[in-house]
Amino acid sequence: MSIDADGIIRSITEIVAAELGVATDTLVPDTDLRGIEGADSVRLLRVVAKVEQTWDIELEDDEVFGVSSIADLSKVVTAALQVRAA
Amino acid sequence: MTTVEPLPATEETEGARAREQGELPWAVLADYHCFGCSPHNPHGIALQFTEHPEGLATTFRLGRSYESYPGVVHGGLLGVVVDETMGNLIVMRTGRVAFTVSLRLRYLAPVTVGAAFTCVARLGRSRPGEPGTDGPLTSATAEILDADGAPAVTATATYRNVPTTIARPTAQDHPTAKEQ
Repeated sequence: MSIDADGIIRSITEIVAAELGVATDTLVPDTDLRGIEGADSVRLLRVVAKVEQTWDIELEDDEVFGVSSIADLSKVVTAALQVRAA
Repeated sequence: MTTVEPLPATEETEGARAREQGELPWAVLADYHCFGCSPHNPHGIALQFTEHPEGLATTFRLGRSYESYPGVVHGGLLGVVVDETMGNLIVMRTGRVAFTVSLRLRYLAPVTVGAAFTCVARLGRSRPGEPGTDGPLTSATAEILDADGAPAVTATATYRNVPTTIARPTAQDHPTAKEQ
């Protein structure tokens, strides 16, 4: 199964924008999630929950609390999809 | 669902009728004691379910008897809520008893004592080689939402589907059944 890394980053960016109430064009893959205005632990966990629902995956807790950017989150999603496809 | 006893043989026909009308099959029993959904268990939480466009829903308020930190509902009780809602959804869709095989929750925000929350359960997506709704295992997901629709808990679970004709002897063999 091929995994569309750009599509994952695009979708995560949209999820982050929706959950944190910011415009997508203010976000880039390296944006520090905790540095976004309005970001708090609850909202960031809701981002994670939405990501898990979107791709029907379960992320490990150490991955969830270890990511700091959209690119980081994209990497753990990609890894989870690769495990599922294996 | 772990807390519901299988339906006695004499009630099976009535149970099937109840399912067709959107009720749980054991709702016909006068004294079922499911901790999650029975109105007859004084220690239970007596959840009531309604059909939802995407599955099954229940709206609940849990009081201080179910408190963890002050003002916050104990997370274990929320496990009961999601398990009940997913398990009952499967029972109503398949007509089989659903025993919990695995259950995983992600807690996003505190669930406040005394406030109204709604749990919505959906049947899981089925992928080749993974639990669907036509094999011995069924997967489901659930969310607990606050009054504004913001998620406080998400959950995924897998259930083993057991026909009542098979589940019934299992329960009858249970030591507590012989004491009754």
